[in-house]
Amino acid sequence: MERTGNVHKNGYQKQVMEIYQFISDRLYFNRPDVEIKGEKYNSAILFSLLTSLKKGKELIIGEPGLGKTTSAEYVCSLVYQFPLGIIWSSEVSGHPEQTEEKIVGRPDLGKLNKGIEDVVWSNFSQIPAKIVDEINRLPETKQSMILDGVDRGNWEYLNEMIINEEYCLFATANYQDGGTNTIIAPLVDRFDVLVESRYPGANLSFLIGKGKRRDSVLRHPKYERDLHRIFKSKVAYEKKILHLEETCDAFGEYVHDTAGVKPISKQAREEIRAEMESLDLELDASAFIRMLLAEFSFCERYGQKRVVENCEEGCHYTEYLCHEIKNCASNRLPTSIKQYAQGLAWLLGDSEIDIEHVTSVVPYTLAHRTQWKDEVLSQKERTKRDDPFVLFLAKEAVRRISQRYREQSEHLKDALAIGSKIFQGESLEPLEGDHPLYIEIKKDIEAQRIRK
Amino acid sequence: MKTPPSPKNISTGLPDEEAFSARNPFEEFETLTCRKTGIPLDRIVESAEAVMGRIRRGYEKLLEEEAKELVWMVQYNTIIKAYEVAEKYVKEIDYTIEDIEDFCFALENTQRIPYLIPGPAGVYLSALCNNAKEEEMVLKLSELKTEINLIGFRLPSGKRLVIEGDGGDFTGIGLEGGELIVEGSAKNWTGAGMKGGKILVKKNIGLHTGEWMMGGEIYVGGRVRGLGNIVEGKVFERDKLVYPGKARYPNLYY
Repeated sequence: MERTGNVHKNGYQKQVMEIYQFISDRLYFNRPDVEIKGEKYNSAILFSLLTSLKKGKELIIGEPGLGKTTSAEYVCSLVYQFPLGIIWSSEVSGHPEQTEEKIVGRPDLGKLNKGIEDVVWSNFSQIPAKIVDEINRLPETKQSMILDGVDRGNWEYLNEMIINEEYCLFATANYQDGGTNTIIAPLVDRFDVLVESRYPGANLSFLIGKGKRRDSVLRHPKYERDLHRIFKSKVAYEKKILHLEETCDAFGEYVHDTAGVKPISKQAREEIRAEMESLDLELDASAFIRMLLAEFSFCERYGQKRVVENCEEGCHYTEYLCHEIKNCASNRLPTSIKQYAQGLAWLLGDSEIDIEHVTSVVPYTLAHRTQWKDEVLSQKERTKRDDPFVLFLAKEAVRRISQRYREQSEHLKDALAIGSKIFQGESLEPLEGDHPLYIEIKKDIEAQRIRK
Repeated sequence: MKTPPSPKNISTGLPDEEAFSARNPFEEFETLTCRKTGIPLDRIVESAEAVMGRIRRGYEKLLEEEAKELVWMVQYNTIIKAYEVAEKYVKEIDYTIEDIEDFCFALENTQRIPYLIPGPAGVYLSALCNNAKEEEMVLKLSELKTEINLIGFRLPSGKRLVIEGDGGDFTGIGLEGGELIVEGSAKNWTGAGMKGGKILVKKNIGLHTGEWMMGGEIYVGGRVRGLGNIVEGKVFERDKLVYPGKARYPNLYY
């Protein structure tokens, strides 16, 4: 086992990168669209891998037929060792008539006839890698039901409950058309990241059309039947998971032997998560996130951002992002940033989460959560860009905050260090500075003084 | 009647490390040593003020020690002596070209610098320019109401000094190989005693130009009012060589 800095490397990074390469070369044709530390990646595959490893929730947007669902299916199959047939049978398809019985579970009708209440759990509620296709075609109440279940890992039906200890969620959404509903803000906020599955370009698209199906390597009728049988069996869910693991491992071996890429076992996933958890934020990364959160939540006039309140011209902080947005950053945002930056740092083999890991993931965590003011939207909507508009705006915002951070980092860290000393009882005055974060530091210190 | 307990006396039942309210939200920065205080702009202003203060004090000392002689008797050895005093002060200061420029503006601000005396000011500015880290310097003197004498004194080889505005008397005297460019006009005794280098005056130049110059070149874009007794070197007027040559006599008015 190799050790670099604080990170124990079991070689899982290589295994995950091989999966990335395998998907990229053989299954999901694409172009790289994000550069991190000098290397270019395709954001849809990269973030889907991080989502599956970090037990996250990802919203994949894009035009119909550009591989939103397929990319998620490949990642789920290779990271969780499920054959594609099982992944497909566990997917929830978004349409207005979708019911709780198809999503979560239904009564066992045979037993019900005998007067016994029992639940037949859906594959979706049992499988750890969950995919909801076209979530914005589901009515909002159904969207909410899925996200509540995924948020807590609890699925309840007829007073029975199963608890998922390991799970991740991929949801795809088409751009607005006649058949779509909106995804309401509190639901959107539950997604950790948003990525776009893009058109691969005319030439790659031509190859996709010309070639035969490439995903047969991830199919295996026998294991699919076995896994179906386990899902349907009446043993306790905890025991079922153990049986699933055995079959999944066997399928993993099969894929390794036939395709040359090694899927990730449950034990490996747990070790990867433990390695990821051991990575801490560098001070610069921490200070940068605080600076970003301050700009996305601060309002001098009204105490904090509220979607129902419009800040006015003439405010001292008009140059900051708080003046350009309507809503307030939620507490889920820093969690998403940390989780994905941690995953990225681990994947790149770094021993700490640095500012580049953070700035690379932040746009994808912000894009769907930020409600920009109309004037900002109308000002920028015709700007030349490669990214979808919301992601473009988020990247622009991160670029501006990074610029401010470069200018103020030393002073900002000093202000935070002094804040810490004041908290520990030293008689010091908080540092002054021209950024909302200095005001936030003062507010925390004041709150501490009142508590004492 | 029982009074309700104040919030700080209510136990949450959680151990300290779990109680958010008791946690130090800045604890990651606990071990960070604060390098400086004040906002960055304040620090820049403070540091610039500190440098300016030292430059100003050097100038005031020069005035105290050398002003009389420089004001009343402009002799070459008095200038040299004053320059040595000025150089002694400026060598102790860590400054940039921006600080020199600030000093130029401060010269006319009586609240910051009590006396603008063209001779000592020029000697002092020359010492500042000659000892600056930068090789290329621009001094914006066009806004000054008073013309500064002795600018470019002993400008060494490898330095290039551009004066935006006019130079006073004795501009570029004793030039030691540098390049002095005056965007406006220069007055009398320009380039006197220069040993090498180049002076370019884009407009006109006064009397005694190049008096006792030992080498180098003076280029004038406008008119040369009068040449001095030149030992060696060249003077050009509108690209035409006027010294050495027979076209001009020393100190001839024309």
